[in-house]
Amino acid sequence: MISLLAKHPVLRNLFSGLFLFLAGSCSRIDHKQSALDPKGLVSQNQYDVFMLSVWITIFLFCTVGGCLLYVLWRYRAKTAEEAKEIPPQSHGNSMVETGLIIASSIILVILAVPTLQGVVLLNRVPDANDTESLEKLGLDRSQIDGAITVNVTGKRFFWIFEYPQFGIVTANELVFPATKAVRINLRTEDVIHSFWVPKLAGKMDLMPGQENFMWFIADQKKIMGDSDAATAMPAVHDGTMRSKVFAKQKFTDEFEPVGGLFYGQCAEFCGNSHAYMSFRALAQTDEDFDTWVKRFQNAQNPNLQTKSYDPKTSYNKNSFVSFADNKLGAGANREYRSVRKTSPGQSPQVAPGAWEKAHSDDYEKGKQLFSSLQCVQCHAVNRTGLGAKGPNLTLYGLRTSLAAGWMRNDEESLSKWLKNSNEIKFGNLMWNGEGVDDRHPLRNLQDDDEKVNQLIAYLLGQS
Amino acid sequence: MATESIKYLAPDSENKAKTQVFPRPGQHTTGLVDWLTTIDHKKIGLMYGMTALFFLIVGGLEALLIRSQLWDHNMDVLTNRQYNQMFTMHGTTMVFLVIMPLSAAFFNFIMPLQIGARDVAFPRMNALSLWCFVGGGLILNLSWFFTGGSPAIGWFGYAPLTDTRFAEVIGDMGPDFWIFSLQILGVASLLASFNFITTIINMRAPGMTMMRLPVFTWMTLIVSFLIILAFPAITIALVELMFDRTYGTNFYDFLEGGKPHLWQHLFWIFGHPEVYILILPAMGIVSEVIPVFSRKPLFGYGLVIFSGAIIGFMGFAVWSHHMFTTGMGVVATSAFAMLTMLIAIPTGVKIFNWIGTMWGGRIRFDTPMLFALGFITMFMIGGFTGIMHSSVPIDAQHQDSYFVVAHFHYVLIGGALFGLFCGFYFWLPKMTGRMLNEKLGKFVFTLMFLGFNLTFFPMHYLGMIGQPRRTHTYNEGHGFETWNQIATIGAFILGVGIVIGIYQFVTAFFNKKLKPAGKNPWDARTLEWALSSPVKEYNFARTPIIKARDQAWENNYGPRENHAEKEPLDDHGVHMPDRSWWPLVTALGLFGLAMGMLFHRTIDPSGELVRDYTVPILAGSVAIIGMIMWALEGPGGYHLFPKENDE
Repeated sequence: MISLLAKHPVLRNLFSGLFLFLAGSCSRIDHKQSALDPKGLVSQNQYDVFMLSVWITIFLFCTVGGCLLYVLWRYRAKTAEEAKEIPPQSHGNSMVETGLIIASSIILVILAVPTLQGVVLLNRVPDANDTESLEKLGLDRSQIDGAITVNVTGKRFFWIFEYPQFGIVTANELVFPATKAVRINLRTEDVIHSFWVPKLAGKMDLMPGQENFMWFIADQKKIMGDSDAATAMPAVHDGTMRSKVFAKQKFTDEFEPVGGLFYGQCAEFCGNSHAYMSFRALAQTDEDFDTWVKRFQNAQNPNLQTKSYDPKTSYNKNSFVSFADNKLGAGANREYRSVRKTSPGQSPQVAPGAWEKAHSDDYEKGKQLFSSLQCVQCHAVNRTGLGAKGPNLTLYGLRTSLAAGWMRNDEESLSKWLKNSNEIKFGNLMWNGEGVDDRHPLRNLQDDDEKVNQLIAYLLGQS
Repeated sequence: MATESIKYLAPDSENKAKTQVFPRPGQHTTGLVDWLTTIDHKKIGLMYGMTALFFLIVGGLEALLIRSQLWDHNMDVLTNRQYNQMFTMHGTTMVFLVIMPLSAAFFNFIMPLQIGARDVAFPRMNALSLWCFVGGGLILNLSWFFTGGSPAIGWFGYAPLTDTRFAEVIGDMGPDFWIFSLQILGVASLLASFNFITTIINMRAPGMTMMRLPVFTWMTLIVSFLIILAFPAITIALVELMFDRTYGTNFYDFLEGGKPHLWQHLFWIFGHPEVYILILPAMGIVSEVIPVFSRKPLFGYGLVIFSGAIIGFMGFAVWSHHMFTTGMGVVATSAFAMLTMLIAIPTGVKIFNWIGTMWGGRIRFDTPMLFALGFITMFMIGGFTGIMHSSVPIDAQHQDSYFVVAHFHYVLIGGALFGLFCGFYFWLPKMTGRMLNEKLGKFVFTLMFLGFNLTFFPMHYLGMIGQPRRTHTYNEGHGFETWNQIATIGAFILGVGIVIGIYQFVTAFFNKKLKPAGKNPWDARTLEWALSSPVKEYNFARTPIIKARDQAWENNYGPRENHAEKEPLDDHGVHMPDRSWWPLVTALGLFGLAMGMLFHRTIDPSGELVRDYTVPILAGSVAIIGMIMWALEGPGGYHLFPKENDE
């Protein structure tokens, strides 16, 4: 116990200034996953009904508890003799009893009305043609008309986010436009999960064999606060979000969140590593969101993937081709970028001056390792890869978090993760899944810093 | 004991006694054999109680491990799987092996005394339910030692996590142990309930009309009806799950067209009445204690009974409020929300009536009364958060967060466990004949009250700031640490309080230094307090003729015409039944059947699945032979001739 006290500053605080400390931490309600700090229409509604119920129950508790205290004080037996007295043996009073029943029914009605309204709100996106309700909710028609749809698939223990309107797939970080409604279709491929971003909306379960629906719409004003859009909602597509999050915010420091960064968590017990099944939702301005979608579409467009060098073609400046480079190993290819217009036949070998390496050697080697170490069997990069076993890693370098929102996505954590993910997330399927045993190359990376660094260069190079 | 006895030898049973192959252990059985073969409702009640207190310690240790793991972010006290096993076992243990059997202990011991009966209607069946309960508890806890360890599925075992397809350990047997254990515990509960219903309906003393029944007996009756109506649902669910796991059927396997939703409906249509099965006995106890320590009859007796019945009835109409976030659609969700709000009214009525009882009384603050008052306040908080959860928009945020954990612990510890401890402090003098140490009792109450609130009040806040339930750890930076540390400290304080309490209960049976209790130490009101403490083997020397509702009180303070009379003594004496081995044998057979089914599958060297039903068939035969012998063994018995007022 004493060593615990010495080790934990929190406990020391507790003993030194209990009340001050408790009052201080209780007044904070803007924690990462706090439902007391709603930033969207649906969560605001849920918060309002909750606060109504809190006031009702505080009132009831004070009234009934007050009566109880009064009775206990007033009718306590003060002396041993009094304790032996026999008070009048009354058996009840039907007027009082009926009155109390009616009073409690009335109080329930006060809660029942907003409850029913809330049920409808969280189950249905308001009709774009219903101007009256839109006005009541403070929404603009365009916010509904421009709604995006995301198909969320839960897997043990990560999330797949598919945007059917745009034909793109990502994982663990849901990027969405801050001003538009977001329709969420929930599916699961294994057990029950539950999608919960407390600041945006309450939870909804992902039920096997059925598709559930929920929706949310963020409140841009609340996200922005006093700052401008660039500060509150840094762009994801060019890596600003990632660098801002990393620069401003220690992973541990919850009280300086970037406004547009929301934390979510699986809320239905789903197996060994259920606790690790978190995710993030990143709010974007409309333009940034569109740009992000475009980048993703390009990255996942099979027609836009880098092709092998064709000697019969002339390439414009900034064209990408794949061409042999023996330095990387026998038969290995690397990506080249043209620095000027080339004529047919001017391959990187023939005209080295016309081409430059698109990526570092480490990146290229990492790319090879990604295949040869069998990563590619479960992870899709630059393709939608629906049905892949693991999270989609397209544009992975833009992500803020690693391991389903559990760690900061930087070199250090990624290196730890690749070396022994089981130590970080015991029971994760990358380490323990079907067909992974001690012979699997993934389990033999502990002492191989070189390979790990190459993989990191490749993965974080996806930006 | 001022009694003499003769062997009961009526002409026809004389022949039977001679033909008995295995004679029933008789009057002078002592020691271990006495406890194993007893069919005395008081001894069975005590064994129920002591076993449940043992499991309370087991479940409590599991809880303390859980709390230690959550002390700080990313702790390594338990691995994630161990943690998941802990909360599954903690929940299952506390619901099925602690609160229910503790209630059953009081049903057994107190209810027959309250209605003026010599025993329950089917004493041997009562013993069978005890041994089934012990067997079921054993099976559940044996799971630690076999493949996969204990189940890691949560106490409501949501499909399809329980499906072998999603097992995280190859050949995981945990859920199988869980299934068979719950089935056998179900047998125990069902048998006991039929027994109690029959007893209350048929064996009331003359003049003990239904509206003169003590409230605790009424709650026993209501809870027994809840059990016999609710348990079939989980029995079906478990049978289907067992078939899924053992024979590859597809009730819950969604990949083969099964429906995980089905499990949730079946489970909660049992599970919600179960909540009332857990709380109504405690309400019954509190409804006995408050009048005694206020020296006034219960305010609105009829309404309290009626609201208990309404709660029981409506308990079957609100199960889907556990499923608000599973996508049931607007209509079903709204309907269940409204029904759930309605059930708050009869619950509130009880609180009003308890306060009404104290109004104008002479209130004494002895330990049982303190626990009763603790019950009222804590249950009130649990009830209020329950009303919040009935509102769907609120529930969408609270569901599966620590707010819900706080809510149901307020109801089940602050409510049920405080109520049951209240019962121990109230009735132990009747069971042991000795008063408990008041100072120690008050100390226990203080520890439990403080520890409990310290543990669970912060969880409301933790839930609101986003800590999900059933997560074995949490990441740094969420602000969860401080409040979890407070909760952990509180849990240890609560644990110490409970352990001292249990120590006090157990030693009360042996500690000769304690003050003798006498017949009615609290100046209590109901019939059991007219008997000596401890109660004689035969309960009532002469069956009382009841004249009023609070008979013990009326005997002392009521008008002459309300004093109980007694049926005349006859020279026949009190017929006491012999003890019996067969309930134990039958329970052993069922235990063996379950264990046999658990281990009937093996993989032979060529990788083929081999099913071997030898053990289940043998054990099942033992159970059937037990039942047959039970039917054939004959009454036996002996007669006691107590003096007129020796009771």
